[in-house]
Amino acid sequence: MEKRTNEEWIADLRAGGEQQSLALEDLRAIILRGLPYAIAGRIAPNSPESEALTEEVVQETLLRVLDNLDSFEGRSQFTTWAHKIAVRAALTELRRARWREVPLPEMEMNEDMDMSYRELPDNQPNPEEQVGRMEMMKRINRIIMEEMTEKQRQALNAVMDGFPMEEAAERMGMNRNAFYKLMHDARLRLKKRLEKEGLTPQQVLAVFEQAGK
Amino acid sequence: MKIMQFIKNLFRGGKGKSTPVSGEMTEQQSEKMKKMMAMLSQTQDVELTCDEVFAMLDEFTELAAQGEDVRQLMPLVQQHLDTCPDCRDEYKVLESIVLAGV
Repeated sequence: MEKRTNEEWIADLRAGGEQQSLALEDLRAIILRGLPYAIAGRIAPNSPESEALTEEVVQETLLRVLDNLDSFEGRSQFTTWAHKIAVRAALTELRRARWREVPLPEMEMNEDMDMSYRELPDNQPNPEEQVGRMEMMKRINRIIMEEMTEKQRQALNAVMDGFPMEEAAERMGMNRNAFYKLMHDARLRLKKRLEKEGLTPQQVLAVFEQAGK
Repeated sequence: MKIMQFIKNLFRGGKGKSTPVSGEMTEQQSEKMKKMMAMLSQTQDVELTCDEVFAMLDEFTELAAQGEDVRQLMPLVQQHLDTCPDCRDEYKVLESIVLAGV
């Protein structure tokens, strides 16, 4: 395989004809060497799923690279830039497959929640701490209800349940970038409201970390 | 009773876990509260979005792999990676590729 500088990669991929084909072939081989790092620990290597994913991601990456050559600013090795595109494509597919069957948490309409507190035996807070936590939990939730929109609460629910942002975003009809902005706005609002009430996240954390210490 | 509904939803336990019966608040629920407060403590007024971080991730990864102090050089990227699990996963994979010299 020919070793290329960043400029040579760009020139060859823009050249068309055989020069471009050779560059694409070399880039394909490079991406193929990187993909096992994305797949490792997520799906079985050398499985049919892994092979199908690899082929799909390589094709998608080569197309994206060609479409976005103008956005490469030369701030890294060209191959690192290409790997970056491949990694995102691969992890997007893997997340989709992993979370496909998991429904987004719904906002249930139950009203009968008695908030008396119960901890596991080895982490049992004393009664005073239980009351403190209960009061804090209610206070934080009241703030959440007052400060956050329904969409923000739904997003927060998903994130708290461990949903990848990208998956939660898609279910909510937005892209990952918009989802992050939505969550950032929500986090900021909560943080500022806590400040207004004389609380810091660390102080709230401390209330929930007292037991078992 | 909207507050009670939201409490029940938000702190009802994780994916695949059974919903606690009425009258219980489990350790898992206080873990979620801790997770949320940890998220808030990392929150900054100005944060980069996933797209903005993606645009710089290759440069950031190479600098980190070279042993540069990226937290100092590109603090907003580092802050985003501390906050966003999706971008952090992508960074970790890219880092392993760069470190392996693929």
